[in-house]
Amino acid sequence: MKTTLFTTAAVLALTTGIAQAQLVIEPGSDDRINWASLDEFAAAHPDLEGQSFNILGPWLGGDQELFMSVLAYFNEVTGAEAQYSGSDSFEQQIVIDSEAGSPPDVAVFPQPGLAADLAAKGFLRPLGDDTAQWLRENYAAGESWAELGTYEGPEGEEHLYAFPYKADVKSLVWYVPENFEDAGYGIPETYEELKALTEQIAEEGETPWCIGLGSGGATGWPATDWVEDLMLRTATPEQYDQWVTNEMPFNDPVVVNAIEEFGWFAKNPDFVSGGTGAVTSTDFRESPAGLFEFPPSCYMHRQASFIPTFFPEGTEVGQDADFFYLPAPESGDLGQPVLGGGTMFAVLSDNPAALAFIDFLKTPAAHEIWMAQQGFLTPHTGANPEAYGDETVRRMGQILLDATVFRFDASDLMPGAIGAGAFWTGMIDFVGGSSAQEVADQIQDTWASLN
Amino acid sequence: MEGMAGQKSSLAWAVNLAAFLLVLLWTIPTLGLFVSSFRDRDQISTSGWWQSFSGSEQTGFVRSGTADDQVQQDGVYVIEGSVVEGSQELSAWGTGARQPAEFQPGDTTEIDDGIQLTVTEEGTYRMTSAEPFELSRGERIFTTTISPPEFTTENYGRVLTAGGLGRAFMNTMTVTIPATVIPILIAAFAAYALAWMQFPGRALLTAAVVGLLVVPLQVALIPLLRLHNDLGIGKGYIGIWLAHTGFGLPLAVYLLRNYMVGLPREIIESARVDGATDFQIFRRIILPLSFPALASFAIFQFLWVWNDLLVATVFLGNTREQLVMTGLLRELMGSRGGEWEILATSAFISIAVPLLVFFAMQKYLVRGLLAGSVKGG
Amino acid sequence: MELFWLAISTIAIGVFGCVAWFWGSNWILDKIYPPRGDRAGDNIRRANQIRPWLFLGPAIVFLTMYLVYPVLDSLWRSLFNSDGAQFVGADNYLWLLGDDKFQESMLNNMLWLLVVPALSTLFGLLAAQLTDRIKWGNIGKSLIFMPMAISFVGAGVIWKFIYEYRAAGETQIGLLNWIVTQFGGEPQIWLTLPGWNNFFLMIVLVWIQTGFAMVILSAALRGIPEETIEAAILDGASPLQVFFKIKVPQIMGTIAVVWTTITIVVLKVFDIVFVMTNGQWGTQVLANLMYDWMFRGTPDYGRGSAIAIVLMILVTPIMVWNIWNARKEVR
Repeated sequence: MKTTLFTTAAVLALTTGIAQAQLVIEPGSDDRINWASLDEFAAAHPDLEGQSFNILGPWLGGDQELFMSVLAYFNEVTGAEAQYSGSDSFEQQIVIDSEAGSPPDVAVFPQPGLAADLAAKGFLRPLGDDTAQWLRENYAAGESWAELGTYEGPEGEEHLYAFPYKADVKSLVWYVPENFEDAGYGIPETYEELKALTEQIAEEGETPWCIGLGSGGATGWPATDWVEDLMLRTATPEQYDQWVTNEMPFNDPVVVNAIEEFGWFAKNPDFVSGGTGAVTSTDFRESPAGLFEFPPSCYMHRQASFIPTFFPEGTEVGQDADFFYLPAPESGDLGQPVLGGGTMFAVLSDNPAALAFIDFLKTPAAHEIWMAQQGFLTPHTGANPEAYGDETVRRMGQILLDATVFRFDASDLMPGAIGAGAFWTGMIDFVGGSSAQEVADQIQDTWASLN
Repeated sequence: MEGMAGQKSSLAWAVNLAAFLLVLLWTIPTLGLFVSSFRDRDQISTSGWWQSFSGSEQTGFVRSGTADDQVQQDGVYVIEGSVVEGSQELSAWGTGARQPAEFQPGDTTEIDDGIQLTVTEEGTYRMTSAEPFELSRGERIFTTTISPPEFTTENYGRVLTAGGLGRAFMNTMTVTIPATVIPILIAAFAAYALAWMQFPGRALLTAAVVGLLVVPLQVALIPLLRLHNDLGIGKGYIGIWLAHTGFGLPLAVYLLRNYMVGLPREIIESARVDGATDFQIFRRIILPLSFPALASFAIFQFLWVWNDLLVATVFLGNTREQLVMTGLLRELMGSRGGEWEILATSAFISIAVPLLVFFAMQKYLVRGLLAGSVKGG
Repeated sequence: MELFWLAISTIAIGVFGCVAWFWGSNWILDKIYPPRGDRAGDNIRRANQIRPWLFLGPAIVFLTMYLVYPVLDSLWRSLFNSDGAQFVGADNYLWLLGDDKFQESMLNNMLWLLVVPALSTLFGLLAAQLTDRIKWGNIGKSLIFMPMAISFVGAGVIWKFIYEYRAAGETQIGLLNWIVTQFGGEPQIWLTLPGWNNFFLMIVLVWIQTGFAMVILSAALRGIPEETIEAAILDGASPLQVFFKIKVPQIMGTIAVVWTTITIVVLKVFDIVFVMTNGQWGTQVLANLMYDWMFRGTPDYGRGSAIAIVLMILVTPIMVWNIWNARKEVR
């Protein structure tokens, strides 16, 4: 039966062919979008007609469709043909492809560390000082964005190699507003209040937090985000930067302190749903579900802006669930630190259309078209915030634009063996019972052993 | 023999029972996946698949109407509606998240000053107030409901209607069939040489084949893709056939050689005496006799190529035109891969063809061929 | 439809190319050294010296290009540092000796080697024997074989529904914890239980590989000449005796093949560990450790290659045993 169904569908799909990417918004129709910027871009690149190039990235499923909807406009205005393909083993594939000499023309890096490595091996093309200058001028906190894409080339001199496009905000705490109202909890304005609220909820016999570190092969990464966020709330941005480059060792008291802060939340069985044992084993995709159980298994969940995808079906963000900014301490002058991430576009071939594509990403329209749909945040100050599809995303975008201190996900900036290895496993060990000092010493040892 | 009948039937019973238990043990995990492929994501993450056949108790909430929905009846303001859907049965309800089952159906409670809420056994609610309502957002009514077992074919619908599935199916077939047949052909000849031909270094070569079985695929990817690029093959069907042939060969040669070594010496000797060349012996005697082994290996190689994603993405690429089934199914699951219902469904759709192959091949695995030829030879 | 014909013709070209080589090269050989005429004996002898290499030729070319060359490549790379620019000699190997994760992986791999091949072969033999004797044997076989047909990612999900953990008091969606709680026990986080978690991972591989063992062993069991079995039954041997004294000795060679193959699969076990624990909680194995160093974040191909070389060296005892066996077969 299944086989018949299958063959029928196969034949059907074969005869109807693959649907072509459509322009999701009729050009010129939505006045929130800067259509003129697209035309200017097309006018500046008149010779792309018929050129083709391919883009390799980590986006699949919904993200892939959304990105391809933006790509369709590039193809439309230039007459070029840009092809995107996504891979869940992007990191492996980009290494194999570039080492073997058949790289894609453009690659979308989710982790700057890997891009830096490939730049050092000479696989990436410098994007030019103009583009670096453009980033400084047109992105909020532009200097730090430009730095994120600037790496040492094969000769050791620094160039801008990767262009940030699409950002994530990580310093968010998700909650169910009505559960807060029913219980009489207020939104904490300072880090101290957040800790007081945590204690208050626990004293009332409820569980304040849902934390899940599970992620199959990447188990442990949600904890690194926690530690980074808390690092920004217990140490200066300068110390954070030194930590990222190992100028300040991983087992420095400052870092150990931030890990212990995380332990204050995650290692107290009264503070986390299911007890500490559940923290390491619960999948991060399933951990927010506790917010939506009745009675609630927890009241708060710290996770980046993408997490609503994993809320139960029918959950309306803004009504059934909402977020607040993970607040900064009242004491001290750490400002309003925001932790975030971003994907980086790099060019790997000499294809002129590929280089032109980076210019396309500078147009406000390239940002606004995705903003108007979903799941996209941008620090592009020239993009119209009105274009955001809904109020919630606009508020996230505002956090990004308002940050007094903006720092990137440290684990993405550290060498892979640390940021995508020892740091992850270390956090699992830490929650599993090791002390912060032990774990930090071990990570530092691994770091020291890298040549 | 007649006296042994009783003993025989009890033995048959024992064999049947033991086989049944073994099969059951091996099937239960897969059964879980099969059942899950007919459930939606919320169901999968809230109850075990084995519980899906009985009615399930669920706690959730329904929002009441807002001030816009109120009507005035007999001098009071009323908002009415239902808290259940379809054939759900209400067993308890409440108004606070912490006590979602505070009240029984039929109870009435006062939620705010002067606002009364009643939820009946049929699942209808009635909220009354002397003053006009000022609700801009519906009041949450928490319900504990018992739903009858519910299954959906939506997952299958979603996967089977995915754009490009037909194309991906053809691509997979184009990759799989040559990548199964070519290594068998090459391996069969090599296996015969290693088993029945005399030449120096035979034992060493056999051992080398075993040694090559252990080469991890990951170390081979970069050098081989570079080789393909240097040779001008690049990424494409030729490249992926060659790669699968290379990776599948050691197992094929090893399995087939060991099978062929076990074939009766007399047949081959007598053929040689009759003046048959090695090529004739191979084609007329060895190949037919080795059918069970050839079929077994064909099944494994087919499966391995069919389920492979890594070799396909590296050697074929994964643009729309080149995408294989596994790649397409992976795309459906999304970047963060939490969609277990799609995964479960995909697993069953992609298992259909290999199982069909297994059934088709099974008749070649029977003893008749071998026993018959031995007697005939 | 165009695509369909393209697919068919490419398949045909691929397969025919292969057939053409074997048929054509033998034909040419027979033309050069015709096995008849006055020099027939001499010709046959010469042709027989060349013919093995015609038979082996394509296999040797493929094995050399696709397996030997990458092995040499990684051997070479294992002597270099992370970006391949600097020759570091045996540094990567020395580093391995002192690395905790490497030691953990070696120990775990040994554990896997002891458990999985034995259990898979045993269950495979049992399944083959039992399903050969019953009416619904083919269906039974297909069901036991099914895990082999499911991709590793699918297998990961299947076992998630078995091992999944939910806190005590919540609805368990993992079968194992549900059973445990039904009997009043505490739910366990199976995949993080030190020591035991390795066995929970091994069960998955046994579950998959039993189908392989069953298919191969079943073919061998059916290949046993009926006369020997009939003779034993006439001599009054019990079914158990027939199985252990007549059948098992006759398929000992095949059992060894199955054992060896599964041992090698275990040696490079990767997917299960990668999908289910990624080597955390003390479940690291060599192949996954190698993957981590080769492709994770900033790759260190030197260290990754060194681990690969160690992994390949571990197969030596099996190779030696096979040489010894092959020599014995030369009769």
